[in-house]
Amino acid sequence: MFELFFQHPLSVFQKGTFVFQSGWPGWLLGLLVLAGMGFLAWFVWRKTRLAGWTALRGAALWLLQSSLVGVLLLMLWQPGISVATLKKQQNVVAVLLDDSKSMGLTDGGSVRREEMVKTLDGGLLTELKKRFQVRFYKVSDHLERSESHQGLKGEKTASRLADGLKQIAAETGSLPIGGVILMTDGADTSGGIDRDTVNALKGRQLPVHTVGYGREQYDRDIALVDVQAPVRALADSRLGVQVILRQRGYAGQRTKLVLKDGDKALASKDVTFAADGSAQTETVLFNAGAAGVRTVQAQLLPLANEENAGNNQMTRLVQVEDRKPRVLYIEGEPRWEFKFIRRALEDDKNVQIVTMLRTTQNKIYRQNVQNPKELEAGFPATAEEMFAYEGIIIGTVEASYFTATQQALLKAFVDRRGGGVLFLGGRASLAEGGYGASEFRDILPVSVGDRRTTFYRDKANVELTANGRDNLSLRLEEDPSRNAERWKKLPFLADFQNPGTVKPGAVVHVESVSAQGRAPLLVTQNYGRGRTAVLATGGTWRWQMSQPIEDKSHEMFWQQLTRWLVAATPGTVQASTTQTVFTDDPRIPLRAEVRGKQYELQPDGQVEARVSGPAGAAQTVMLTPDPVHPGVYTGEYAAEQAGSYLVEMIASHNGERTGVDTIAFRREDGVAESFHTEQNRELLERLASETGGKYWKPDSTQKLPEEIALSEGGISTREIKDLWHLPILFLLIAALRCGEWLLRRRWGAV
Amino acid sequence: MRKRKFLVAATLLLALVGVAFAQRRMPRFFPFQEGDDQPMPADANDKTEFAFARLKYPNWRSNDRMWSMRGAWSIDYPKADRQFVQGVRRLTRLNVRSVEQVVDLESDDIMNFPWAYVVEPGHWDLTDGQVKKLREYLLKGGFLMTDDFHGSMEWDIFMLSLQKVFPDRPVVDLPNTDPIFHVLYDLDDKFQIPGIVNYPFDQTYEYDGVNANWRGIYDDNGRLMVAICHNMDIADAWEWADSPHYPEKYASLAYRIGINYIMYAMSH
Repeated sequence: MFELFFQHPLSVFQKGTFVFQSGWPGWLLGLLVLAGMGFLAWFVWRKTRLAGWTALRGAALWLLQSSLVGVLLLMLWQPGISVATLKKQQNVVAVLLDDSKSMGLTDGGSVRREEMVKTLDGGLLTELKKRFQVRFYKVSDHLERSESHQGLKGEKTASRLADGLKQIAAETGSLPIGGVILMTDGADTSGGIDRDTVNALKGRQLPVHTVGYGREQYDRDIALVDVQAPVRALADSRLGVQVILRQRGYAGQRTKLVLKDGDKALASKDVTFAADGSAQTETVLFNAGAAGVRTVQAQLLPLANEENAGNNQMTRLVQVEDRKPRVLYIEGEPRWEFKFIRRALEDDKNVQIVTMLRTTQNKIYRQNVQNPKELEAGFPATAEEMFAYEGIIIGTVEASYFTATQQALLKAFVDRRGGGVLFLGGRASLAEGGYGASEFRDILPVSVGDRRTTFYRDKANVELTANGRDNLSLRLEEDPSRNAERWKKLPFLADFQNPGTVKPGAVVHVESVSAQGRAPLLVTQNYGRGRTAVLATGGTWRWQMSQPIEDKSHEMFWQQLTRWLVAATPGTVQASTTQTVFTDDPRIPLRAEVRGKQYELQPDGQVEARVSGPAGAAQTVMLTPDPVHPGVYTGEYAAEQAGSYLVEMIASHNGERTGVDTIAFRREDGVAESFHTEQNRELLERLASETGGKYWKPDSTQKLPEEIALSEGGISTREIKDLWHLPILFLLIAALRCGEWLLRRRWGAV
Repeated sequence: MRKRKFLVAATLLLALVGVAFAQRRMPRFFPFQEGDDQPMPADANDKTEFAFARLKYPNWRSNDRMWSMRGAWSIDYPKADRQFVQGVRRLTRLNVRSVEQVVDLESDDIMNFPWAYVVEPGHWDLTDGQVKKLREYLLKGGFLMTDDFHGSMEWDIFMLSLQKVFPDRPVVDLPNTDPIFHVLYDLDDKFQIPGIVNYPFDQTYEYDGVNANWRGIYDDNGRLMVAICHNMDIADAWEWADSPHYPEKYASLAYRIGINYIMYAMSH
């Protein structure tokens, strides 16, 4: 339709520059238009006055006549548009054909790959060849030159479109490439088109025209969008896996979400689907079990007539660590809370609780110490002694009990060592204990203030906040609503404290509800590499004594809170990769952050990664220091075979081993191709628009060769296209004259 | 006829034993005058972390005149309790209420007091409901200290109810190495603590309870739930610690035992 009125495609107007071919200056045109308008104003005003018309009628006539004069003068100046066009047969057009497995999918009875061939054979290729030299490339997990568009097999299980395009931009530097045609479904398995690729194409002035295949939306499909599981966990932890899913065609229907480790079912949950197309998050809890690597597969059981059942499952690795974090609990006076916390944590076989209780002014009763020397001199006063613990619980102990060194060390324990500190409420805690004037004020998640009447031996019930409802560490029941109700029904606390003002960035998970009103009860925050929390009570023991024996609320709360406190506490070596499951990509980035005995960064050490995988024999990769981040060492491992891998990163300094950490990852092939199998039109449109190309539907590619021709990318020439004889101009002249005639007729002047 | 002879012989024997016992228990000068008119301390209503909980229980054969003479939950009450907590306040960092709390096994109030003391359990007779409540209390983390019962007969009566509480858990002698004897004070050298009936304390036992027994019942994790002080009268030692007629060494030990038992209950 556009071309019917404007004679040329829209892109000609978008890419070209406007010119006058008459050779007369543009200012003269403007001057004449103004003069014409002035003359017409005088003329029409005179006529109007004689005819006795209103001023509005005169203005309408003047506007129509002025417009007509303007258009006629414009045509006299011979307007044109100057565009760069590629010279015939002197430029190359690269046609990238997606040869990945997803192109073998069938949509409405036709295979995508066959549709692609049909597009080319349906005239596009002939037209392209009339103007350009055509080069074919097959793109899948790699880019490969091809003699023709025939013989595509679609056996490759990955589509790395970005890599392919980047390679085209790099390898064709010496060729006059006029444009790139990417024929694909857009199902890129490497995470999309990155900025580097777009910049490389733009740098070479290579417009990418994308031709999209495949349905843009399934009618009936259930798909997992993501599965979020903790990378590491302590043995026997209760873990939460968040499954994000989306579906079409099954709103309101139910299926089962199953978590499996191999053949062993870990947990399952009935899921009722939300509205079509909306993202839905489901949380499933399971027990991490014994130490080892859990291959957690989340699977939504397929429903009838599902069009793609391959995207119903996803795998994640959870490394269940073989460590028993040690937690030091200091209590300033005998309290029931002390006894019952100890009991709850002693039931947890994977956390070691070491306690020191000030029974009298000069006596400390130590329990669970490893040897008679441990804590013999009291609360740790050296980094080596304190950093041996992974978490610390401070009971009702006044700040002045700790020396300035101990206070500074406790801060470093959180900030540098990455440990967790939990402050409990009590008659010598927080504001009552003078914490506001101590080093503790920095690491506390609350500003405690100076008021000393904040502790009450009165009843207080508890309620989860919105954040608390989402916190898996506070789940006494799997179902969030039932869990919130159960918290409300817990027996009242024996005492509570107003902890002060919550700091920005800190999170309130539980509130106390008492005659005094509501107050934050459990507040947490991340501080440095570690985390701190305030539990403003010493009275949770009533949850144990005032509920039936079978009720495990108290034990679960304390075990889960303590595990939260220490689960993320790192050792001197902290190994990591970017993810736990790598699909169709053998390049595994390895990273280790190495610290010394006092957890200071150690930039001058050596780190070797010993990787053992499905092949059996371990391979060693030496990591190199990161020049930007001291203490960080990086490297890359090529995991060619699919399967599970274990990486042991060993750090040494001056020939002495300083630490070791282990991580696991999994390589999968052919899985990503089952996801995002609908045409990713958004990606294709974005790529085309950012590189100066255009997105095309397969059945409307007739104008594609012409569009490519309007390019400055290859060997081009400038061409001026006349505009003075555009149909739209003649229509405009006719419309202006007819309009004036109609108006005059209506006013009775004709 | 044989039955009648037996009854006569038994009556004579009991009379003789009674006369002998009365001779021993009633010295010419007896300086310990019991009294319930203890003044209420000014801070009696303070809210504290700990309160001395005294368990109230029904007596064994409480309708029987002879047995109802002796044995009741309120023996030494309230002076022993109040005098003992004064010592606890002075010697430890525990936040203690100045007055005792009487608890029973009829309501759930006892669950607010995870340490409880029972005197003269050689005369208790718990109902089925009370047995159930006591078992729950102990298994949840409550601690029971028993004291002031003597000899084999009171032991047997004590055990009749206790075995209903824990039919499957044995009562064992506590070794000196048990943490309860070391949590605050090292109590390796313990001895029998006499009641005031033993005045002038040339003898420290009552009935056939010659040897002091330090016994207890453990839970599945090796923690003491019931600490049994048999053949001794710790409460008398607390009650009369301020009397010049009660030997200091017994009072001192009684305080140390009581404090250790509380410290143990609050840390294990």
